Formats: sequence, structure tokens, C-alpha cells
Amino acid sequence: MAEIFKHIYPSKYFNDYISRNVRPDGRKFDEHRDVKVNINAITSADASAAVKCGNSTVVCGIKLELAKPKAEEPDTGFLISNVELLPLCSSKFRPGPPSDHAQVINNIVSDIVMNSKCIDLKDLCLVHDKLAWVVYCDLVCLDYDGSIVDACIVAIMTSLKTLLLPSVSFDAETEEVKVDTSARLPLKIHGLPVATSFGIYEHIPRNIVLADPSAYEEEMCGGVGANLIVCWNKGLFCGIQKFGGSNLSTEDEKRTLVLAKEISKLVEGVIETCIKNDKVK
Amino acid sequence: MAGVLLSRTEKVFIIDGVKDEYRSDGRSTIDYRPMELETNVVSHASGSARLRLANTDILVGIKTEIDVPKPDKPALGKIDFFVDCSANATPEFEGRGGEQLANSISNMMQRAYQSPQAFDLKQLCIFEGKQCWKLYVDILILECGGNLCDAVSLAVKAALFNTKIPFVKAALMDGGNIDLQLSDDPYDSKLLDVGSAPLLVTLCKIGNKCVVDPTAEEEKCSSVSLIVGVTGNRKYYSDDDTEELPAFQPKCSAISMHGPGSITTTTLRNAINQGIIAAVCLDEALGKTVVRERRDIEKFKRHSYGFLK
Amino acid sequence: MEGRPRALLERGLCSAVDAQWLMMMMMMMEGRDCLKSYDEVYSGLFDEKGHRKDGREMKEARAMYARGNFVSQAKGSSYIEMNKTKVVCSVFAPREISHQNEFSTVGQLFCEVKFAPFSCHLQRQPHVPDAEEKALSVALRKALEPTVCCHLFANFQIDIFVYILENDGACLAAAITAAGLALANGAVPMYDIITASSIAIIGDKMFIDPTEREEHLALSSPETKQNHGVITMSRMHGLKQIADFRQIGSLDVDCILKATDILEEECNKIVPKIQMILVRYINNGIIQQKKLAEAAKEREAALKIKMKEWSSSIIKISD
Repeated sequence: MAEIFKHIYPSKYFNDYISRNVRPDGRKFDEHRDVKVNINAITSADASAAVKCGNSTVVCGIKLELAKPKAEEPDTGFLISNVELLPLCSSKFRPGPPSDHAQVINNIVSDIVMNSKCIDLKDLCLVHDKLAWVVYCDLVCLDYDGSIVDACIVAIMTSLKTLLLPSVSFDAETEEVKVDTSARLPLKIHGLPVATSFGIYEHIPRNIVLADPSAYEEEMCGGVGANLIVCWNKGLFCGIQKFGGSNLSTEDEKRTLVLAKEISKLVEGVIETCIKNDKVK
Repeated sequence: MAGVLLSRTEKVFIIDGVKDEYRSDGRSTIDYRPMELETNVVSHASGSARLRLANTDILVGIKTEIDVPKPDKPALGKIDFFVDCSANATPEFEGRGGEQLANSISNMMQRAYQSPQAFDLKQLCIFEGKQCWKLYVDILILECGGNLCDAVSLAVKAALFNTKIPFVKAALMDGGNIDLQLSDDPYDSKLLDVGSAPLLVTLCKIGNKCVVDPTAEEEKCSSVSLIVGVTGNRKYYSDDDTEELPAFQPKCSAISMHGPGSITTTTLRNAINQGIIAAVCLDEALGKTVVRERRDIEKFKRHSYGFLK
Repeated sequence: MEGRPRALLERGLCSAVDAQWLMMMMMMMEGRDCLKSYDEVYSGLFDEKGHRKDGREMKEARAMYARGNFVSQAKGSSYIEMNKTKVVCSVFAPREISHQNEFSTVGQLFCEVKFAPFSCHLQRQPHVPDAEEKALSVALRKALEPTVCCHLFANFQIDIFVYILENDGACLAAAITAAGLALANGAVPMYDIITASSIAIIGDKMFIDPTEREEHLALSSPETKQNHGVITMSRMHGLKQIADFRQIGSLDVDCILKATDILEEECNKIVPKIQMILVRYINNGIIQQKKLAEAAKEREAALKIKMKEWSSSIIKISD
């Protein structure tokens, strides 16, 4: 019965819940969903992580390649991230070239990773002007249920943290490259950016901020995807972006910053525990 | 293929007939309809053939090019199939309508020619790791009267049989680069060894039995057909009668199913056996024809005919 | 030239000579079999005891983990894992057929198979379906067509998307089984459960449920005239019919017939697992419905009591 009502009157259904200070899945407005992390599931990738934020599932796989650095930047390597929103994750996406939404999310993720300076691209360069690593991070969304940027960031940071680079020896005279896949060294990561998404629902008298919205809630709040993304990097404020949705008052904004900071601490704890457990094994 | 309308009674007639091994035109279940084959019809291709099987008309042209071999297979050449369903064949093929069918036929051909026991790609190698021949097999469907895969595979084998690969005269090593000199004389060329190339046989399941080479009416009565690719016997394709060849055993090089129906295991077994028998007969007939044509060309001067009679 | 070196070349990040060099480097990095001879690779498939590299017997298939309801946003979905081969499938409710104007009396299936960029040794270009993915999509569709009751959704199409997270051989078989489970999970009308399995044949040895290395070797060239090839068969258990049979390589008839018997048994072994999963989900659904019905009854009873109180208080006031 409730399902039919939800299909016919989605906004009224949602409004009925919000006006009673609760969300359709039973959470409070600033409660976020459980985060589950699993690493090294994919053995064909050089590093991998699978993250579930509630129902949203993102798998990150990292593949390494060698290339010649660009002429203008002879001692930087490459870190190329790519987010794929598959048609299988939701009926909103159709097969074919990536939609605008996918490209926007790709941009957000790569901006957050680059601007937080968690990886120094100079670490990826092996031989000046001759040889450098290319780190391809492919983020694949398997289930689109809102807050996809959060899940992507957790996935990419976890897999970068568990990435081990093989040692490479380069003979300058013969230009011969020898790769030793058995002797591997971890990549140096500074900091751990964590993003939190919010949806802003238009309500009288005051707009309501929902933390970690699901896909249905994101639709109700308007805009495409989350309305507000706040990023913290180990206690330091890293970035904030707002797209669409309703207006946000200044007290609400301060509240979201505090909330995002708490959530980011929790998520960091989850990632660290997961990596530690894996090492113990 | 194209709109053939059958009433229920006609369908029952055909199905019951096949059960007792009678077909409407008097053939047995492994007989083909008469075919016409003409080779060397396209003068600027390295090899070509045109085959007419009742209402189906296929034109195959083969072009050769020099290419770099794949890094994980340095001693092998390459062969690439492309099928073009022209709108001449049926109006359904207009625009991109024939794309699905074209893709499935070219996939089937690629799989059938994949094994080295079917077609040995080593004969296309010029210089290991650096240069090899690449054959582009272009298949044009001029008219569609059912039973496309069989006609396509026959035409391709005939075209490959008279493909002339130019001789590579000198290969100089110039600081790691190969310098090739192709001979200018068009008759100074080598022929390919295609005796074992596979032939595809389509077996159409009507009722509980399978028939080979279905007419358009018979195709309407069936929901599933099995395509078997069988390697050929090199004995029929060589000029030397005295050459000692090892005992031949036909092998399946590709099997696939087509159509929205399903089959039981016994039908599969019987169909594969039936297909092999039909393919062996077909191979022998084709071999004798192309060898005889080659001998005739060598002996007499040939009058040229246009291919649109 | 495949994969990422081509992407770099097209983006102008490296020259053509470098790209070729990069391909060789990538292969050396993976310790690629292409630089070893055929016999070396063949002996590399077995360990000291004569079992296969991952410890299985010749006739042993890999243990399979399967579950449905994997993607919450899809009508039906499934996830199948066979040791290292990982496949996700989701099925969406009937939609109108794209790019078609005329009415069709039967429904259609739209199948798409994609590989993850990190699923194989060599990188793949995303977004552009290459020849292997297209061939797999067509093969999947051919296998599922006999199973689905297409006449029950005339003029609609059902979308089936399969994503291969990691490829370690037998991906077509895993994709077909996953699609069958996802369709059943999504309550799409079907004639029967469909399962698939594959076998690789090298010489006189038959490898059931081959890994990628075994498959790759079965398709490449031995020097002798021995049998080599890969067969994939999908079967409908209750009707005892073969939905799709696919063979590539060069095999003689006895070998094929023997392999058919083995494959039939293998397909039958998977069926109880699929049945158990589907029954379990139905059970869970029934239990959940019972709980909801009980909760609804309790609420109704509480409401009735309140109604009585109000109506009695109204009568008192009006008195």
C-alpha cells in the first residue's frame, strides 16, 4: 500500500515523513548510513577496494602502467581517475558514452584527490624525463543509492593506501626497463580526505538539511545528486561545493561543517581498522 | 528471410514430410541445392569468388596488405572478415537493419578460422616479429534467399583458393627496419594452402529432425538451427595426386546455435554427425570444382564474362 | 594495438614508437605467457601432484557463491563469484523498445556485457564496447531467448546488464547463470531455470570450468594436430533442453560428444544452488509480509480502541 502511495504522490509521501521529524528509512536528519569497506577483493587489479554506504556500492580498481612524462613537466607522474556510472546501477543511466552527471562526479572526485595533495605526483616519477608511473583509478558504481561522491572518495583513498608499487630498474644506455613485481613498496599518502554529502529540502519555515541522502531523498530535494558536499582532511577543512537544491542559511552551513567533521573522523577510523586487519592477516 | 507467408496446413505438410525424410523438392536431408561458382571476378582484388546457391548470391573479395604482427603472436599473419548486407538483398537491410546479421556472420567466420588446424596463419608471415600479411576478406550479400552462412563459407574458401600473394623479393635489414621489395610481375605470386579451411553447414531443426540447406519455406517452420563448421580435407585441393597426405579426420572448428528455440542433447548429437557428413560431401565437390577451374585456366585462354549475367 | 597505450597515443601523451614499447613493457610486467613457449605454459598449468594450478581435479568445477538482490535499484539482480571470476547482473522492468516504430508481437531482450577496466591483464578502454564485449552480449542474448516468455510482454524490452568485475575464465558461463538468477529474482516470466558451464580441451585432457590461462592456452596453437578448444553450454534443467551451445577451436566428434555429457552433469549440479537461493528469498519475503500484516493489525486494533474512547467521550459531551 505504502509503495503505491510512494509511486503516485512521491512529494506528499516524503513531506509526511519530514514533517514528523523523521526520514522514510527511519533515520534522523543528521544521521548517516553505515559504511562498510573491503580491500584487495579484485586480484587482477594492483589494488582494489569495495565500499558500501548503506546501499550505494562503489568498487575501485587501480592499474599501473609506465609512460614517458610530459615534456613540460618532466618529473611528474600521472594519476588518472575515472568514475563509471553503469546502466546496471540504476534505471536513470542508459548504456552509451558517459552522461553529464558521470562526468561531473568524475571532476569532483579528481578535484578532491588532487587539491587535498594527498599524493605528490613527483613521487610517481622514476627517471627524470624518461619514465614515470601512470596510476589509473577506475571507480565503478554498482548500486546508485545517493551520496555517491562519499563512497567514491572512500574507495579511492582506501585503494591508494593499500597500493604497492613494484620496483623498477632502468638502464640509461640501453633504455631497457626491468620491472620486479615481487619487491613492492607502498605509495606515500599524506592525509586522508573524506567527503560528506548533504541534501537540502525546501520546507516552511526553514529548509532542512539531510545528511547522507539516499537516491529518493536526493530526487525530492531537487538538483542532480547531492546538493552540498563538504570535505575534511584529517581535521583540516578541505573543500565545500554546493549544487542546486534549496537555499542554505549560515547557521545551517556551520552545522553541516561540524557534522561533516565528526563523520569524517568515524570514516577515517573505519578505513584505518580495515587496512590494519588486512595487514594482520 | 524475406516475407514468406505460410498457412498452418502448409507448415504441417512440411513438418510431417521431414519426419518421414521427404522434402518438398525431393532432396534428402543432407542434400544441397545446385550451386554456381565463379572465381576471379573482381580484377583488382587479390582473390575473389561469386557463389549462387538457389536464391542466395554472395560476392567475396580478398585484399592483402602488409602489417605488423601481434606482439604475442609474432610468427602469425592476420585475417579479418567483414560482412556487408547490402540493401539490394532485402529491404529489411536498409540503413543499419542488416548490422546484427552481418555481425553474427562475421563473428561465426572469425571463430571458424581461429584454429591453426583450420587455417594456418604461419603461411602469411614474412619476417617474424616485424612484417606479416593481413588478409581482408570482404563479403557482400547481394541477394538473400536463406542459408547465408553456408554460402558465405563456400564463397570465402573458393576466393581464398585463388588468392595470389605477391612474392617478397628481397628483405634488407636497415638499422632495425625492414625494407621490402615486392615483385612487379603479377604472375609471380604464391598461392595459399586452404585445403583445411572450414565450411559452415546450417542444420535447421524441423519437428524432431534436422535438414541441411533449408529453403525459405522450411526456415519458417523451424525455431532453431545449428551451425557447424567442419575443417576441410586437403586432398581435394591439391594438384598432386601422388602426394602422400596423412589420413584425414574431419574436425569441428566452430559450433553455434541460432534462433529463439532450444534443442535436446540427442538432437545435438545427431545434428553434429549429420553436419559432418554433409560438409565432407560438400568439401569434395567444391575441391574438385576449383581444382578443375584452375587447371582449365592454366591450359586455355579464358573468355571474360561479366558477373551480372 | 589495444588498451591504454592507444589511449595515451590518441591523447598525444606519447609517440607511436613509445606506445609499442609500452605494450611490451606491460606484458613483461605481468610476466606474460606470450614470451614463453607453448610447452612451458602447458606445464605451468599443473603443479607437482598433477592437479591443476589452483588445486582442483580435472573434473572439478570451482565453488560458486551466488546471491540475489544485490543491486537495490534494479528490479532483479544477482552476484556470482567463482573463485576469482566475479560477475554482477541486474535486470530492469519492461521498458519501451528503443529505436523502433512498428509494433512487435513478442517482447525483446536487450543484453549488454561489459568488462571492468581492471578486470583483465591488459587494460580496456571504457565506454567503447570492443569486439569481445559485443560478441559476449550477442551470445548472452541467444542463450536467454529460449528461456524468457517473450510473448507475455509484447512490444516491450527487458534490459539485462552484466558487469564482469574480475575475469578469470568461464565468464560467458558465469554471465548466463547470473542473468538467469537475476531474471528469476526480478519476477520476469520464464520457462525454466537456466545454468551454464564451460570446458576447455587441450589434447586428451578436459579442464572443467577453466581459468583464464587454461582457456587462453586452449585457444592458441599447438604444434601437433591434437584437439584444442573451448565449449560453453547453457541448459534448461526442467525441460532438459540445451539453450545455447558454443564451440570454438578444433575438436573431433567423439571429443565433442563426451564433453557434452560432462557439461550436462555440470549444469545440473548448479541448479539446486540457484533453486535454494530463490526459495530463500521467497521465504524471507513471506516472513516479512507476515510481520507487516501483524504490525498493521496491532495498529488497527489500537486505532479502534481510540475511536471507541472518542466516540464515547463525544456522547458524554453531547449528553
